[in-house]
Amino acid sequence: MTRQDDMDTADTRTADVLAALPADLDRDAPRAPDLGSMLAHLAHRPVPVGRWHRFWILTTLQARIGAGYLAHWLRSGFADADAREASLNEARLSAALKLLGGMSYLRGAAMKAGQTLASWPDVVPQEVADILKVLHFEAPPMHFALLREHVHDELGGDPTELFAEFETEAFAAASLGQVHRARLHSGEQVAVKIQYPGISRSIHSDLENVQLLMQPMRLGKNWANLMAQLADIRAMLDLEMDYVNEAAMQRQARELVADVDGLVVPRVHERYSTRRVLTTDYVDGKHLDAWLADGPDAAERTRRGEHVLTSLFRMWYSGDLVYADPHPGNYLFMPDGRTALLDFGAVYRLDAEGVEYCLLADRGLAGDPEAQAELIARSTEVERADDLAPDHRRLIEDLCAWIWEPIHTGGPFDFSDPAYFRRGADLWGEVMRKRYTRSKPMNTWFNRNFYGARALMARMGATVDMGRIHAAEVARAGI
Amino acid sequence: MRITASAKERTRERLLDAARQRFDAQGFSAANTRDIAKDAGLAAGTLFNYFPNKESLAMTVIGSELAAARETWRARRRPEDTLVEDLFSHVATGLRALQPHRAWVGEVLETGMSPFATGGANREGDAVRAAHLEGVHEILAAHGAAEPATGDAPSTALTAPGVVGMHLYWTLYLGVLAWWSGDPSEHQADTLVVLDRSLQLFVASLRGAKDTTPGVTDAASTESQTPSPTDRA
Repeated sequence: MTRQDDMDTADTRTADVLAALPADLDRDAPRAPDLGSMLAHLAHRPVPVGRWHRFWILTTLQARIGAGYLAHWLRSGFADADAREASLNEARLSAALKLLGGMSYLRGAAMKAGQTLASWPDVVPQEVADILKVLHFEAPPMHFALLREHVHDELGGDPTELFAEFETEAFAAASLGQVHRARLHSGEQVAVKIQYPGISRSIHSDLENVQLLMQPMRLGKNWANLMAQLADIRAMLDLEMDYVNEAAMQRQARELVADVDGLVVPRVHERYSTRRVLTTDYVDGKHLDAWLADGPDAAERTRRGEHVLTSLFRMWYSGDLVYADPHPGNYLFMPDGRTALLDFGAVYRLDAEGVEYCLLADRGLAGDPEAQAELIARSTEVERADDLAPDHRRLIEDLCAWIWEPIHTGGPFDFSDPAYFRRGADLWGEVMRKRYTRSKPMNTWFNRNFYGARALMARMGATVDMGRIHAAEVARAGI
Repeated sequence: MRITASAKERTRERLLDAARQRFDAQGFSAANTRDIAKDAGLAAGTLFNYFPNKESLAMTVIGSELAAARETWRARRRPEDTLVEDLFSHVATGLRALQPHRAWVGEVLETGMSPFATGGANREGDAVRAAHLEGVHEILAAHGAAEPATGDAPSTALTAPGVVGMHLYWTLYLGVLAWWSGDPSEHQADTLVVLDRSLQLFVASLRGAKDTTPGVTDAASTESQTPSPTDRA
C-alpha cells in the first residue's frame, strides 16, 4: 500500500465517520427563549474531578454534543459556501448552546475557548457572542466553606484571619477560578484570585479524553497537526494555571508600563500569592460593556484604544512578552480615565529564536520583500516560500497584509469598520477550510494577540493611529 | 502503691503522644507497642493496661484529634452557612487536624471505622463514629432537617429513612476519607471537590431528589454550590 493509498483510505474513513453521525443532532437544541433557564441550570453544576468520571460524562452527554459540533464543522469543510450559508446562524446558535453546556464540565479549557470565540465579532454571530460573554464574569462560584479550606491550604492560614476583611461572595469569575475582594491588615484593598481546586488535573483529563475521542481520525492526514495543536493548548493552559508564572509576568509588565500615562498594571502581593492563589491590588473600574453603555465619545474611545495598543507593543518590543489574551474581560476602564490591564496568565515569553523571528516580521512589515518571503517560509515551516502552493502562499500573504493593514494605512485607523474584520474572518475561514493549518507553534500565541486585539478594538469602536504607536514603541526599544 | 486518677490520665496522655510520634515517623504497621511504651517511659506490658492493642491506641489518637477539630469547627461556624457549607466545614476541619498523620490514618480508619470492621479498634472506632454523627445531627437540627421523615414509613429502626440517610452519609464520609488518604493532588485539593460532591449528594437525598448521580442531575434536583435561601429552611 502506498502512502497515497493510506491517505485515501484515511479520507474514506473520515467520510464514513461523517456519514455515520446522526444528521439531526441539532434538532433538539434549546432555542433562544430557553437561554435564561439553561444558563441558570449550568451555573449550578460543580466541577467533576477524576479522569474516569469525566470520561463517562464525555462519552455520554458530551460526546453527543461534541459529535454534533464536530459533525457540523467537518461537514462545513465539504459543503459549498451557498449551502452552508443557508442554515448557518441556526447551527451556530445551537452549537454555541451545546458548547456552553459542555463548558460547565470542561470549565477551564472550554471557557478559554468560549472567551476567545466571544471576542471574534463576525466569526461568531453577535447572539452567540452574547451568550459566550456570560462566561467572562458569571461562572458558577465555589461556596465559601470550600474556598476557605482551599485558601487555607494555599496560604497557610484561614482567610478570615490572614486578611483584615475578606468578602465571602466572589465579585468576578476568572476562567479558572473566581476573584474575591479583600483588605490587607496594612489597609490595601486587594483582589484575591482563587483557582478552582482540582481544575488543573481536570483540564489534563479533558485533553486526554479529547484525544481518545479523536482516535477514529488518527489515520487522517491532519492527525499530527491536530496533536500538535492539542499540545500547544496544553502548554498554554499549563502556563495559565500557574499563578506563580502569572505573578512574574505581571510584575514585569507593571515595570514596563510604569512610565505610560493612563496605564495601570496592578501590583502583586507576594505574601498572599501561590501557584493557585494570586493577590493583587484591587482596581475599581468598568468592563467593556458597562463602559460602552456610558456612551464614550470618539476621543475617549481613541484614547482608550491607544492605551490598549501601547500596552501590547510595549510588552512585545521592550519586554519580549506576547500578551495573548487581549479579550474584553482583561481590561478595566477606570473612572479617573486610566485603563487597567489584568490577567497575565497567557503571556508568552519570546526566546532568542522568537525575537529573531519577530525582527524578521518587522522587516517584512517595513516592505522588505526578501524578509517577507522568508517570514512566510518560516511561519509555515517550509524551506522556501516558493515551496508552498501558489494559492497557499497568496493566502498567507493576504493574512499578513490584513494583520499589518492598520499600520500600513498610515494615520488613524477605524477598527470598528465591519468590512475590515469580515475580510480577516474570511481569510481565516479559508485557511481552515483549505486546511492550510501547518504553522509554527508560536504563531498560536501571536494570532491570539493579533485577532484578540483587533476584535477588542472593534468592539471598543476605536479609531487609532496604530502606525504611530508601533513606530514609537519600536524606537523606544532601540530596534 | 495506688495510682491516682490524674496520674493515670497523665500516663495515658504520654502514651498517646508517644504513639502519635511513632506513627508519624514510622507509619502504623512498622511502629510497635514496645517502642511506644519505652518512649513514654513505661514497661512494655504497662501499655496494655491502658489500651488493649495498637489499633485501639491509634484510633484513640485519631479520636482526640477529631474532638479538638470539632471545637475549632464550632468556633468558626457562621450563622449564614448553608447546610452543605456547615457539613463541609465539619468534615474539612477534621481532615485538616488529621493532615499531619495522613500517611498512616487511612489504614487505621479503614479497619476501625468501617461498618464491616473486624479489627481490634471497634470500640474506639464506634466512639469516633458516634461523636462525628452527633456533630452531623447537630448540624441537621440547626438547619431544620433533623427529624426523620416518618410518614407512612415502617416504624422499625432498620427501615426508617433517618437511619438509611445516615448510613448513606457514613458511607460517603468513609469514601471521602479513603480518597483523601490516597489523594495525590497538591494539598489534597481534589478531596475538597470530592467532599463537596458527596455532601451535595447527601443533601439532595435528604430533599428527596429522584436521581442524584453526579453529572446527570438537573440543577433543580441537587443543591447548588451557590448558597441558596432554601438551604437555611
